[in-house]
Amino acid sequence: MNMPFLMKHLRYLSAGAAMAVLIASGGPSFAVTPADTLVEGFAIDDIISLDPGEAFELSAAEVTGNTYSLLVRLDLDDTTKVKGDVAESWTVSDDGLTYTFKLKPDLKFASGNPVTAEDVAFSVERLIKMDKSPAFLFGQFGLNGDNVTEKVKAVDPLTVSFTVDKPYATSFVLNVLSSTAGSVLDKKLVMEHAKAVTPSEEYKWDTDFGNDWLKTNSAGSGPFKVVTWKANEAVVLERNDNYFGELAKLKRVIYRHMKESAGQRLALENGDIDIARNLEPGDFDAAAANPDLDTISAPKGTVYYISLNQKNPNLAKPEVIQAFKYLVDYDGIGATLIKGIGEIHQSFLPKGQLGAIDDKPYKFDVAKAKELLAKAGLADGFTVTMDTRNTQPVTGIAENFQQTLGQAGVKLEIIPGDGKQTLTKYRARQHDMYIGQWGSDYFDPNSNAETFTANPDNSDEGKVKTLAWRNAWDPKELDAETKAALLEKDAAKRAAMYENLQRKVLESGPFVVIYQQIEVAAYTAKLKGFKLGPSYDTNLVASISKE
Amino acid sequence: MTDPSSPAPISWRDWLLTAEPHSRRQASLGRAYVTWRRFSENRLAVTGLLIILALVLVAIFADLLAPHSATTGNLAGARLLPPGSPDFLLGTDDQGRDILSRLLVGSRITLAVVALVAIIAAPVGLLIGTVSGFAGGYVDAVLMRITDIFLAFPKLILALAFVAALGPGIENAVIAIALTSWPPYARLARAETLGVRNSDYIAAVRLMGASPARIVIRHIMPMCLSSLIVRVTLDMAGIILTAAGLGFLGLGAQPPLPEWGTMIASGRRFILDQWWVATMPGIAILIVSLGFNLLGDGLRDALDPRESGR
Repeated sequence: MNMPFLMKHLRYLSAGAAMAVLIASGGPSFAVTPADTLVEGFAIDDIISLDPGEAFELSAAEVTGNTYSLLVRLDLDDTTKVKGDVAESWTVSDDGLTYTFKLKPDLKFASGNPVTAEDVAFSVERLIKMDKSPAFLFGQFGLNGDNVTEKVKAVDPLTVSFTVDKPYATSFVLNVLSSTAGSVLDKKLVMEHAKAVTPSEEYKWDTDFGNDWLKTNSAGSGPFKVVTWKANEAVVLERNDNYFGELAKLKRVIYRHMKESAGQRLALENGDIDIARNLEPGDFDAAAANPDLDTISAPKGTVYYISLNQKNPNLAKPEVIQAFKYLVDYDGIGATLIKGIGEIHQSFLPKGQLGAIDDKPYKFDVAKAKELLAKAGLADGFTVTMDTRNTQPVTGIAENFQQTLGQAGVKLEIIPGDGKQTLTKYRARQHDMYIGQWGSDYFDPNSNAETFTANPDNSDEGKVKTLAWRNAWDPKELDAETKAALLEKDAAKRAAMYENLQRKVLESGPFVVIYQQIEVAAYTAKLKGFKLGPSYDTNLVASISKE
Repeated sequence: MTDPSSPAPISWRDWLLTAEPHSRRQASLGRAYVTWRRFSENRLAVTGLLIILALVLVAIFADLLAPHSATTGNLAGARLLPPGSPDFLLGTDDQGRDILSRLLVGSRITLAVVALVAIIAAPVGLLIGTVSGFAGGYVDAVLMRITDIFLAFPKLILALAFVAALGPGIENAVIAIALTSWPPYARLARAETLGVRNSDYIAAVRLMGASPARIVIRHIMPMCLSSLIVRVTLDMAGIILTAAGLGFLGLGAQPPLPEWGTMIASGRRFILDQWWVATMPGIAILIVSLGFNLLGDGLRDALDPRESGR
């Protein structure tokens, strides 16, 4: 049986019981968080490690984003660009293969150790050699355990050279370096806590590179350092007084694990937390109407889409693909089901990334869709299935799509399942249709472009399992165009190539992109300087102060 | 339809209540009449019967009664309207669908689940119970231990396990509920069988050379029927709740079917601000469950063998 599912409902019961007790005890409690501490209510049950060489989860990214410095980081004023973090400047060799970074002088880690080129090279070496989830990001540059010490090395204490295997677009390389996998680690501190390991076939090294210790600690030079992480309870951060930038305004930040939207809203209204991070539309509206609370939102790099498996002969017809794009009630969904948590978006690149376009050529139009279906020889409609995860707002959108498809005579059967079930089926290419989301792995258009338009081998044995592959879609010439865009040096030309790719996918790709996610948060009006970034690792808390 | 052999025409009532029936048919009709009289004296039981009759009528004429489509809503124009809105008597849900229409059409699903479970579970329980009780010995031991195994698990948990194995869907929910509800009927039938298996009329039939199958089917099963009917009727409320529970957990009827439990589940998210989305199907479940319980109670009183004939 599906135990998490049962547990979830038990939790509702217990939450209800807790609320009953609160009400019975008479009147609200006037709890106030300490003046020098920020308390956030946040669902942090996805964290499995705080080690930037291992963590690949959203909440973990927020913690590592606040505790580590990077070589370069996203410029939050213009997210299509990057700016130096510990790097002061950089140059690219004429052949486009070697990047040389000059570090800012006299920087210190939270531990007091100096930040040197040695530490930067070590951080990349460690990432590649440990070979955990985020390692593929740097693996794209042709790095592996055998050549990484050769390709990434310290030239002198303040100069690092970084060699890639192909003349990639500079913006692509820098964007990947700005992901949390590029965090600069304190080599001395990390190796003090490293454990000896017996090398084996899978793991050839004799040390764990401090992985075990770093799961619950930090060794960075960011504005904060990790004090403790207790799974499903809290993450506690403390100000790093050795930080080279502007020091954080608050002394301590506590992420309290709170799963339910209603619980967060209640705690926020009572003053038990300063920020509620996982509010559903109803609770968010209530917070927006409360004069003691302020709200904020920011578009995130995640798009929600419906995809059509091209193995299904009906769905493979170009007219059917077009018709389905006309059968989503974009306006209705935008005004209701995803109000406040998403905005209608039809191209595969999320707003804010280089080359993203905001074209919305499709409107809900049953007559047009019927015409297209008739042209495809399916005037009488047909039956298809769609694998749908049991969560909102996906279920609501699926149910609505079922109705709108029905108006054009297409019968949609929804196959519900939990995330693991639906995803396993999707990855095995056994679905008809699938509704889900795609979050960019790093803040560069290549992350989405590759998954939506690259498919070098469309057979079942294909090794590159992009979304195009999962839907058995052969993007033909788009595959080559995606690869060309990755090597384009000129940022403006590169952007134009991605615009072109998006228009072509909009026209004929088997992906009905519906909306881009917006992250929302509500916070007490006493907070100043709270901002949400375009990704979770750019939700920075250093600028927050309290009145 | 007076009996041709009776000397003078008599009233219907007297004919039915006569102490000396002239035919089998007259006897059984007479008995049914007595039962009905006892049943109809019980006002609550009649209320229950009326509720169930109303449910059946609503289910038959749902398409005519429903003012809107039960599956297609108006997302942009009529979402989460409160009860009493013009055109939407009971309000609308999060997909902009009329809740009243969904409840009316949903009554079909509820009724179908109840009927199917009763048709599957009751005969199975009856057969296993009577065979077990009549045969005795190791047949009895084996069948009863199997029954014990099923009885050892809470009904809903066992149904959940079956549905998880079979896959979500209304058909599988029916099968799962039927699989979990036959054991009490088997127990009941076995107890009744043990009471009559050694009685004289069974010995007489056996002396006349009747086969065990004939004895069980023709002479034992009828004796178990009345208590079984009462039990099944009383269980129907439980079946509805189990089906609704499975629907609530997403394992029963699938969208867009307007199954009442599923409707409550989808309304749960709005319970603080739009209470009616979850409340209306809840009230429907309450009323129908109450109807079955009242009917079952009334039937028990009316069919109680200790009181019959008086």
